[in-house]
Amino acid sequence: MDRLPMVFSREHVKEISSSILNLSSPGLWSKIVNFRRKDTEFCEYVKRFIEGHFFSLLMISTISSNALCMVLETYYEIKSNMFLMFEVVEVIFTSIYWFEFYIKLYVDPIGYWKNGYNLLNVVILIIISVPFYMWKLYGRHYQYLNIGEGIQSLRILKLIPYSRGIRTLITALGQTIYTVASVMTLLFLLMFIFAILGFCLFGSSDGGDVNNWGNLAAAFFTLFSLTTVDGWTDLQQDLDEREFTLSRAFTIFFILLGSFVFLSMFVGVMIIHTEDSIKKFEKELANERHIAVLQEKQNILRKQQAEVNRLMQKGKKSEFQTFSELVEGFKKTLRHTDPMVLEDFCTTLPFIDIYLSTLDNQDNTIVKYSYHRKRD
Amino acid sequence: MELKSRSDTEELPQITVVSRAEAVRSKLIDTFSLIDHLRGLSQAVPRHNLREFLDPSRQRKLMQGDHHQLVRFSVRPTHDRILYGQRQQCRLRVRYNRWAPISLWAGWVLERPFFTNLIIFLIFLNTILLMIEIELVNTKDVKMLPVMLALEVASWFMLLIFILEILLMWLYNFFLFWKSAWNIFDLFVTILSVLPEVVVLSGVSTEALWLQLLRICRVLRSLKLFTRFGQIRVIILALVRALKTMTFLLVLLLIFFYIFALTGIYFFENYTRSDIQDLEYQTYFVDMPNSLVTVFILFTLDHWYALLQDAWRVPGLSKTFSSIYVILWLLLGSIIFRNIIVAMMVTNFQAIRSELWEEATHLAVQHKADIFKRQIIKSRRHHQRDGKAGSKGSGTIHVIPNTSHQFPNPPVSDMTYPENVTKTTVPKDAPSAQENLLSADSPGLVDWETHVHQNLPGLMEMDQDERVVWPRDSLFRYFELLEKLQYNIEERKQLQDFAVKALINLEDN
Repeated sequence: MDRLPMVFSREHVKEISSSILNLSSPGLWSKIVNFRRKDTEFCEYVKRFIEGHFFSLLMISTISSNALCMVLETYYEIKSNMFLMFEVVEVIFTSIYWFEFYIKLYVDPIGYWKNGYNLLNVVILIIISVPFYMWKLYGRHYQYLNIGEGIQSLRILKLIPYSRGIRTLITALGQTIYTVASVMTLLFLLMFIFAILGFCLFGSSDGGDVNNWGNLAAAFFTLFSLTTVDGWTDLQQDLDEREFTLSRAFTIFFILLGSFVFLSMFVGVMIIHTEDSIKKFEKELANERHIAVLQEKQNILRKQQAEVNRLMQKGKKSEFQTFSELVEGFKKTLRHTDPMVLEDFCTTLPFIDIYLSTLDNQDNTIVKYSYHRKRD
Repeated sequence: MELKSRSDTEELPQITVVSRAEAVRSKLIDTFSLIDHLRGLSQAVPRHNLREFLDPSRQRKLMQGDHHQLVRFSVRPTHDRILYGQRQQCRLRVRYNRWAPISLWAGWVLERPFFTNLIIFLIFLNTILLMIEIELVNTKDVKMLPVMLALEVASWFMLLIFILEILLMWLYNFFLFWKSAWNIFDLFVTILSVLPEVVVLSGVSTEALWLQLLRICRVLRSLKLFTRFGQIRVIILALVRALKTMTFLLVLLLIFFYIFALTGIYFFENYTRSDIQDLEYQTYFVDMPNSLVTVFILFTLDHWYALLQDAWRVPGLSKTFSSIYVILWLLLGSIIFRNIIVAMMVTNFQAIRSELWEEATHLAVQHKADIFKRQIIKSRRHHQRDGKAGSKGSGTIHVIPNTSHQFPNPPVSDMTYPENVTKTTVPKDAPSAQENLLSADSPGLVDWETHVHQNLPGLMEMDQDERVVWPRDSLFRYFELLEKLQYNIEERKQLQDFAVKALINLEDN
């Protein structure tokens, strides 16, 4: 009911724009804006189905068997013997993935795209359709066909949304992405500088080491090899044969900088971030637990009060005005010789001593304060 | 005392509900289980505590008596520690035991430093002798025969001593033995050593291969060393715990291994099937197991550039995709993942170390709480004594020093300090003496409230079985009075606020 004014005002505005854009009618626009689902019950049912155990079990088993089938397909004998079965199974898996996509899209068309894992699903669907289109467009002997088949292995990433542990891990790790990216960029810059330097020094086509430093790509590879300190002695030997003067200093300096400093810095930065995120996570957990406990206590207190009030209401007939009158009868049954053994802190002697001492102390402070003021 | 009324028809005066008073009243209701009583459900009151119920001897007495007794449950986190008093009682019990306490003797032997050092020495000796034996095992030299005989005898002797040690531990406490994983490990290793000999003695031929392998298991005896040293134990425990928290990380790593292995098979298909001679790494991507091993080799950054250059020699392989593959895996797996694993290990070790520290600090906190309790009791006693002497009148004004918040002095001086001050205090009027006392009680430099707040949590969690016996009507009266006190304090606070406001108004005018 109260949406009507809004519709009218929007219509009013849209009148002008639609006349500019030549839309068919203002009614159509208001219909689009006010679109409400008419099939809410079915939508709820489907949503419950998606969030239920059966669906996740189905998806997990599908993805695992798909992963297993892909491993088996790499064996040539098995593949040639059971070719038909593999084809059928492939069709089944693909149809299940598309079914999942459509059903999730149906439940929430607009909110679907906001979730990262759903975007991952869409990307994987695109990847699944890549070899098919390659085959269609380029024929059987396309040289990049094996690349298309190779990236099918990414299908197993669909498993991640169905496991809560990995999801929390990825959210925790995702916060370190910025640091990682910045360190990587820094490393890249450093390598870039040294690559240009190395190319100019060692890569000239006459008498220089063209293999390793001939062009920028090769220089980058060589430098990456130095950063990961794998096989760098062979590369250094190549340079030594051609008797470059500065080569050793260059290599050693770069290894110190790139491998020792940068990669260790990487480790340090990751340690700090992991610590921070784990501490934050644990603090959140502790807070949640604390709040839950406090809530429980409040609830219990409230329930008790409600009970006592109710009892008082019932006892109105016999004119119980206050709580003390209510328990008058109970008090009479208490005897002095009955012992009660308690372990609570609030009934122990140290507590009483501390409490009364603190109260006395407060009294003293107030007395002093008032004397102080009187004097001035 | 009035409660907030719910019905609008009754004319009960409404007052603000004070939360502390609420808490006290709820405690009262809880202790006396008034709700059940007022509903007429039960007339009984729990007369026994949980501790009495769990104590087996008392439980038997309870069960023999009235079955319908109620037990009060009070949940308090207790630390499982053996008190010195319990130890002494145990000793007394053992001393007057009818049969000789062999378990006690076994425990005494096991805890002697001489015995533990002997075992460690024997393990070392065993390892060394095993090394010598392996050197000499194939020699046909006749002169070496006595040496080999001596080695064999020594080995048997040490095995016997290890078995003896396990028997001693069983004598000490059979069921506790199985609760510790270290002991089970010890037992396992010893049985593995004994098994070949037993099998040989029972007549099986000595040429069976698995028998030879079992003999080699003798070397596992050196692993017993791990359980002896406390430091190594801590490290192994920390390692196991770190691995447990890192399970999901390892699962993620396995997923990535799988992805890159499968992708590698397809990307390097031309390389695997190529006919060029002298390709070094041609079998590296031929099927899934090989591919997994290759991915692991790349993960450890070994000869990746050589592999890549070798693969480039094949003309059909697209250089871009293969180099993207390798570089991506190096960045993701070897650099990022390995450092994530290092980071998680470091944080786990820190967490474990802080947990072990918590044990030590718990004792320290308990000690401080103990001292605090003694101070309070002393102060109350002096206060009562002085309170009777003089009256609260005008006196010299001392401001309690609220200077700095350093830590109290070490315990010894704490105990003697109040005594000294009380002895040298000239008997003045009550307030000043009291102030002096209070300032003397607070050890030097901290004011009362901060002192209380520092030590209160420790006091609340004290380990000792602090049980107080109250007469029932006094307890009820105590709770009632405490509640009234809360309301009075609340009122007094309001009055003081008014007084302060009035004073300020006075000054302004």
